Amino acid sequence: MITRRHILHRAGAGFGWIALQSMLSRAGFAAPQMNPLAPRAGHFPGKAKSVIWLFMNGGPSHVDTWDYKPELQKRDGQAMPGFDPKTGFFPDAAGGLMKSPFTFAQYGQSGTWGSSLFPKLAQQVDKMAFIHSCFTDSNNHSPALFMMNTGTTRMGHPSVGSWVTYGLGSESEDLPSFIVMSDPKNRGLPKGNASNWTAGFLPGVYQGTWLKPQGEPIANLKRPAEVTDKRQREQLDFLATLNREQMAGSAVENELAARINSFELAYRMQTAAPDAFDVNREPEYIRKQYGLDQPHCSHMALQCLTARRLVERGVRFVQIYSGGMENQQSWDGHADLVGNHTGFAAEVDQPFAALLADLEQRGLLKDTLVVCAGEFGRLPISQKGEKPGRDHNPHAFTAWLAGAGIKPGVHHGATDDVGFKAVVDRVSVHDFHATLLHLMGVDHEKLTFRYSGLDQRLTGVEPSKIVKEILS
Amino acid sequence: MKNYTISLIASLSALLTLSSATVFALPPDHAERMTKGLELFRSDVAGILKENCLKCHGGDKVKGDFDLATREGLLLGGSEGAALKPFVASESMMLKMIRHEVEPHMPERKPKLADNQIAKVAAWIDLGAPYDAPLVAGKVVKDKSQVTDEDRKWWAFVPLAKPAPPTGGHPVDSFLNAKAAEKKLTFSPEADRRTLIRRAALDLTGLPPTPEQVEAFLADQSPDAWEKVVDALLASPRYGERWARHWLDVARFAESSGFEHDYDRPHAFHYRDFVIRAANADMPFDEFAKWQIAGDEFAPGNTEALMATGFLGAGVFPTQITANEVERTRYDAMDDMLATTSSAFLGLTVGCARCHDHKFDPIPAKDYYQMLTTFTNTVRSNVELELDPAKAARELADREEGKKKLNAELKSYEADDLKQIFDKWLASDEAGVPRSAWQLLDVTDITSKGGATFTKQDDGSWLASGENPGDDVHTLIASTTARHITGLKLEALSHGSFPHKGPGRADNGNFALSRIKVSAVPLKGGPERELKLASAEATHEQNKAELSVASSIDEDAKTGWAVDSGGIGKDQAAAFTFAEPLDVEGGVKLIVKLEFHVNTAHCIGRPRLSLSTDGPPKLKGDATPAAIASLDSKLREHAVLSEAERQTLFDWWKLRDAGWSERNSRLAEYDKKSTKSKTPVLVCAEGYNPLVMHSQGPPFLEKTHILKRGDPNQKQAEATQGFLQVLGGESGIERWKWTPPEGAKYTGQRRTFANWMTDTDKGGGMLMARVTVNRIWQQHFGRGIVATSNDFGKTGALPTHAELLEWLSGELIRGGWKTKSIHRLLLTSAAYRQSSVADAKKAAADPENTLFMRRLPRRLDAEVIRDSALAVAGELDTTMFGAGTLDENSKRRSIYFTVKRSQLVNSMVVFDAPEPLVSQGSRPTTTVSPQALLLMNSQHIRAWSMAFARRLQHDPAAAAKDDFSSLISRAYAIALCRAPSATEIHAAKAFINSGLAAGPEQALADFCQVLISTNEFAYLN
Repeated sequence: MITRRHILHRAGAGFGWIALQSMLSRAGFAAPQMNPLAPRAGHFPGKAKSVIWLFMNGGPSHVDTWDYKPELQKRDGQAMPGFDPKTGFFPDAAGGLMKSPFTFAQYGQSGTWGSSLFPKLAQQVDKMAFIHSCFTDSNNHSPALFMMNTGTTRMGHPSVGSWVTYGLGSESEDLPSFIVMSDPKNRGLPKGNASNWTAGFLPGVYQGTWLKPQGEPIANLKRPAEVTDKRQREQLDFLATLNREQMAGSAVENELAARINSFELAYRMQTAAPDAFDVNREPEYIRKQYGLDQPHCSHMALQCLTARRLVERGVRFVQIYSGGMENQQSWDGHADLVGNHTGFAAEVDQPFAALLADLEQRGLLKDTLVVCAGEFGRLPISQKGEKPGRDHNPHAFTAWLAGAGIKPGVHHGATDDVGFKAVVDRVSVHDFHATLLHLMGVDHEKLTFRYSGLDQRLTGVEPSKIVKEILS
Repeated sequence: MKNYTISLIASLSALLTLSSATVFALPPDHAERMTKGLELFRSDVAGILKENCLKCHGGDKVKGDFDLATREGLLLGGSEGAALKPFVASESMMLKMIRHEVEPHMPERKPKLADNQIAKVAAWIDLGAPYDAPLVAGKVVKDKSQVTDEDRKWWAFVPLAKPAPPTGGHPVDSFLNAKAAEKKLTFSPEADRRTLIRRAALDLTGLPPTPEQVEAFLADQSPDAWEKVVDALLASPRYGERWARHWLDVARFAESSGFEHDYDRPHAFHYRDFVIRAANADMPFDEFAKWQIAGDEFAPGNTEALMATGFLGAGVFPTQITANEVERTRYDAMDDMLATTSSAFLGLTVGCARCHDHKFDPIPAKDYYQMLTTFTNTVRSNVELELDPAKAARELADREEGKKKLNAELKSYEADDLKQIFDKWLASDEAGVPRSAWQLLDVTDITSKGGATFTKQDDGSWLASGENPGDDVHTLIASTTARHITGLKLEALSHGSFPHKGPGRADNGNFALSRIKVSAVPLKGGPERELKLASAEATHEQNKAELSVASSIDEDAKTGWAVDSGGIGKDQAAAFTFAEPLDVEGGVKLIVKLEFHVNTAHCIGRPRLSLSTDGPPKLKGDATPAAIASLDSKLREHAVLSEAERQTLFDWWKLRDAGWSERNSRLAEYDKKSTKSKTPVLVCAEGYNPLVMHSQGPPFLEKTHILKRGDPNQKQAEATQGFLQVLGGESGIERWKWTPPEGAKYTGQRRTFANWMTDTDKGGGMLMARVTVNRIWQQHFGRGIVATSNDFGKTGALPTHAELLEWLSGELIRGGWKTKSIHRLLLTSAAYRQSSVADAKKAAADPENTLFMRRLPRRLDAEVIRDSALAVAGELDTTMFGAGTLDENSKRRSIYFTVKRSQLVNSMVVFDAPEPLVSQGSRPTTTVSPQALLLMNSQHIRAWSMAFARRLQHDPAAAAKDDFSSLISRAYAIALCRAPSATEIHAAKAFINSGLAAGPEQALADFCQVLISTNEFAYLN
């Protein structure tokens, strides 16, 4: 007879387990006992235990947010010499250079230039490090989203959150380790849908768990109406009895024990998950701080506050999307840049500012990494129309990071005079990923998985570099 | 980056052979320099390179594809291109990197080299960078673009061996025993019959056997009782439904495009049905392979063969492609076809050779691109197919009959009743043409600035075809004698020849009218005058801003009327009101200019114009032909009409008669309904109308080039068709070449490729046989003889039983590629029939069971768990084939779930059904709590548990219901194919009794749910 303790000790995995253990050892991790999600040490001590990734879906304009370009002001309306109209998505609508319609000012001790779009977040700039020289490989949403999330423009590779969970396991026993919250305002998923948080060729257990914005956030979390808690407990006890009876002398005893344990975990998750998602347990002042009482931003406030509650409970990787699928339903300001960006910025400004402040006041910021970026930037020229906008720009965008391991208030890299291309200390998406993994204690060259005849990596085969300049 | 390959033939008086156009001149004093360089190499440089570079570049690893252990490797360069230019240090990348002038700085993550060291390396390069010996003793750089005889010796590439089974008895057992004898292991005892039949039924059909099937097998004392069970299962239609699923994993089958919008492919399921039918019919595997690659070329006119090509088209494809992504996207799509084909049939990771010669297997990039040309013209199309010609012919005959009848009815009504009503109307006070209707304008001339051609249609519209210019202006000319013209109606009519039926000619069926200009010239003479348009309304507008109808009468050429977001595929119209009515005696010539500048190639495809002459024009209302309108006064005055006038009038008037309309619409309805005998099917072939996405480029490229680093911006020579050099392709393709008949719409390239791939003599056929039998083995024994079923190359696993694999492959070919015989062969072995009871000694001797001397239980696949739950509940709907569903309430087998990439069915994904993105040779098995949550809480599992409970209550075999004993026994027989133990009965009774407060049915359902949740139910023993 196997004891309950014995069973719990050998928590969960199946046949692919031996293969997985060998992959993990190959990738430089101490292979855990039995559970593919058991927490494990990285290649070296990492500063970040958790990541909250604020994904500005659609591609916010760097020159209208954090990359101040006085030169644009001066050359407003002039043609941009040598511009290839194919750079953006609408070659026929390329106009002249367009100054930012927003006013810029300097904020904080760091003197960070920021636009009028983020009045509250601007008060937190001294916590943030900016990379102004990001660039990517595609001028089209879904390939660029895949690039940012999976390191390739093609569909079906594992996402960053999956790689991290594969490498480090989960700190939480009764919550998923990688959680994704899409824009909840009926705007649809980001382009490419669930492929943005897929486990790709990694085992499915590392896939992101998408919280449904409406109804039950996680499938099958609620008992059937006619089954009481007591009865379900009896069911599980009876099930364990039968399973133990059947298991005696089985050649795959461990695997079957793991299965028994998975029911116990599931039973606990039924209470743990709703508890984590219930922001009403937060005091009034916290809810107000995030903006839960403000109709224009309550949805992002809910996501940010939930994210904090999740990392507090050991969830490894949380991704929040601002903006949904179609143009104008996201930061994709092709037409009416002012209306588009003003609206979306107002939705995130207070919640993001509150998230940083709240993480800090709880001492969580020192081991939580907060990342904010879109999938690309926008062009310094206008996209012509009744109300002008800006088209996609794969050559430059700004990302900011804050928290664990980040040197606050620094600015790394730069774009050219008008913000068209990253020119100084260019940072590729692979460099960005390598830096993120580094902060979590993972060597991006060692984090591999043998698939299709190759040791696959998040950062691909070309060399990538860690952006040391933003590390504390 | 310059591109040259150099091989050093003699060391000092170096003769250099260059393989490309870039040639650099050798300095005249090169021999002297090389001598000096060699000294420097010996004294310093070799040490510097060994100390600082070799570890990553040729020692422990080869980073960036750059190996400087030998001079040949040094000169070949790496992924960043050439590392150096001999004799010219200043132009050498390697030097720039160690000088920290370009990134990445070298050596990486180490201090910069000392200045004097850098200087020595520079001097050595200027002296020609000679080596006296490789830095790693004995190392020879292999040119991976060349395939050698050594490469051909890899076990998977050599001709099939013909081993004889070592001993008598069952050949499979004979091979396995011979190997196990080395470790002194023998088979485990045979499993009991209940276990055996459950195992075979779940393996072959994916469903547990019924208690009756179990009992029949137990009672059958004949010597071939087991063979009969196996044959019956193989003959069951359920077999095809189970085994098709394995192949669909390999084929990365799905019914949506993935990427941005994940558009549905509603006609893709025919491929799934083809696979099921092929499995059930035991279609020879070589033919199965050929049809999937070139069914249209192998069996023209055969609808099944055409459906089979759905294999090539099952991969992901973006739905939004910008101009500079067109080429890359197309190469990606072709790569998906080639990579999937190679993994599925040949077990080779050919896709690796897209960017460089394969690192491990002898697959040069050249071979990759030569094979890629196979698919140059291959695209997805929805093709209307007659799936049941006999039925269609019958239906056609019936239809003609019915139509004739309805037509006769209509004609007799017209000739008789209607004529009388018409005459009465003519004589009445009501005779006249109603005002306020639109008058159709007879456009006599239409021209396109960009060169589109127009054909006049019977309904007064003009159909555009030919050129579809990016930017265009259409000019329409018409004359009218109408007076007091208040407005103009522009209809944009749909048509089957447009994408999505139009009404526009853009790829998505849209148009965007940036401006409409109307001017008039009096027929009696006078200047042309532009008419101001005051307002506009439309049947549909894409938005109320820059794509509204109002924006087509503003000055901005970049805004205009468009009709996407709900208006595609339908007729659309816009009415424009003149600022002042146009009233010219004697009539006018109208010149209507339609301008299209908003978006590329967004023109209206079938315009029609009409005029309003009465009050402010309203959008609604049919146009009255001018010929009718002109009869108005005659009618009102009851003047005599000519016969021709009378006929024209009658034809117009009858449309207004309720009796005529009813009869006519019955005829039209009948006609419309019954012409749909054909079924659209998604195929992937050549010569059909390509399925068009939102792309700023063509659906395929004329030519396939060899690409440097897989980058379409770095095209090299055009590729011509060729096959793997390591599998017979070195001597050209003549042996397999198939030239299609004159006038065929395909090139024959796919058939040529398939001929090579299935050729068991000189091509890929032997490897295909190995891969195929290994897949079958894997499903029956839990792991393949080659554990990596999709990779038979050097990074894959070696066969644990090479001879057995060779023999089985030979059996497959000798048996005419029939796979059912292979199943029969495997299932009748003692190896398959072993018990799975634990054996500690064997587990220690062979922990991973590579010798197959025992059986390991394994978790069932997602589909099998769900289908089995439905089956034991008595709820399974065995309807076969047809469109699938995403609705988890469906009671059909799981293979009939629609596979939508963005909405994979939860109960499948949770139990490890793979994402259909690339070919999957095996599924992982995880054990995670969402699986438990599903079994505990899903409404479906609960509903089926209730159904199971009701089934038990009504089951005569569970008659004695008082203490639940017989009922529990029956439940075990149904769900687990066995009788419960005394302990189990005792525990089950206690459990049911403790829940009786909620009623016996609920208590029983609680019990059934637990039974479905047990390990035993979810595992194959």
